[in-house]
Amino acid sequence: MTTDITTIAAPFAYTESAWPIPPRIRDAHIRSWERLAAPGEWWSGAERVSIAVETRRAAALLDGQAHHVADPDAGLADLPEAAIFAIHKLIGDLPNVSSEWYQELIDAEGMSDARYIELLGVLVHVWSVDEFHRALSLPLEPLPAPLAGEPTAHRPVGLADHGSWPPTLAAADLAPSESDIYEGMPRAANVLAAMSLHPDSVRWLNDLFEAHYLSWQDMSDYQTQARALSRPQLELMASRVSALNECFY
Amino acid sequence: MLRESSQRNGTLESLNLHGAVDDSDSGVSQHSLLIAFTEAAVRQTDALSALRKRITSELGRQELVDAAGVVANFQRMVRIADGCGIPLDDFTKDASADWREDLGLHQFASAANTA
Repeated sequence: MTTDITTIAAPFAYTESAWPIPPRIRDAHIRSWERLAAPGEWWSGAERVSIAVETRRAAALLDGQAHHVADPDAGLADLPEAAIFAIHKLIGDLPNVSSEWYQELIDAEGMSDARYIELLGVLVHVWSVDEFHRALSLPLEPLPAPLAGEPTAHRPVGLADHGSWPPTLAAADLAPSESDIYEGMPRAANVLAAMSLHPDSVRWLNDLFEAHYLSWQDMSDYQTQARALSRPQLELMASRVSALNECFY
Repeated sequence: MLRESSQRNGTLESLNLHGAVDDSDSGVSQHSLLIAFTEAAVRQTDALSALRKRITSELGRQELVDAAGVVANFQRMVRIADGCGIPLDDFTKDASADWREDLGLHQFASAANTA
């Protein structure tokens, strides 16, 4: 069995692709892999890449392709059992995620609210890049080799209960070190604030959101056509993805 | 495909979501094709390859890339929303109350997590 982790000089080389993938998407995917490989606030680079490996394993199991999953032991870190459970739940059983499940998870050995949010941030962005590839029948990009370094354990100040399970940051309460995460918006949508316990996950979200969909500025401009598909076509598809996942929000 | 069969049996049908976004209702150009592609991409069905070809021929190659981007984006967003139990935003809560009821969205399991 071969590893799917590598160091490559030119990641996300879409030049052989049949599809005209714009530079904004390729550049955002490259930045995603750079973020993935680096140490975070609560997980090391090796642990973050391990989260990505397990995310791919969960997706492959969902598709009945377990035999295609690369060796997850190639230089990576062990993850807490609860983290592995969370990854498979979020990929394969999303409609049954609940507040009780969340509370039990963050109380489990090796977990915390902050470690959960960073794990979620890694999972959703790797999953999203991979889903883009699967939608276009492109091979999955090899995962990056993890970078050395220790997690910073930075927990933002100003966190409060705003109705989500984890504490979040209101736009008015951002400290200078997090002042960029809502891109100057005076009020952040709850889905944007959801991962603010781990601010770099919000930055990652902003980056891929604009690359895959629209910028937050374009979101509020219904007149300009920013993509080849029209705004109603984009919104129709977005709603359908949400419905298929039984997402009430 | 297992991803397709893993969808909870009958849930979507009972919510009548297929009917809720029928061609005659949406007024969106190429509605049926885009919905079919979305479902095939999310569920990774065998129809995906043929639908890619149809979008390419009937809409365009750049439109197909856009469509893949939308799927990728919202496969991410729904996991953030449901993985954090976020409440509805104040600016949409009242405005969407009627059609949330009409579409039967309260029957989603995640409705219990989103006040």
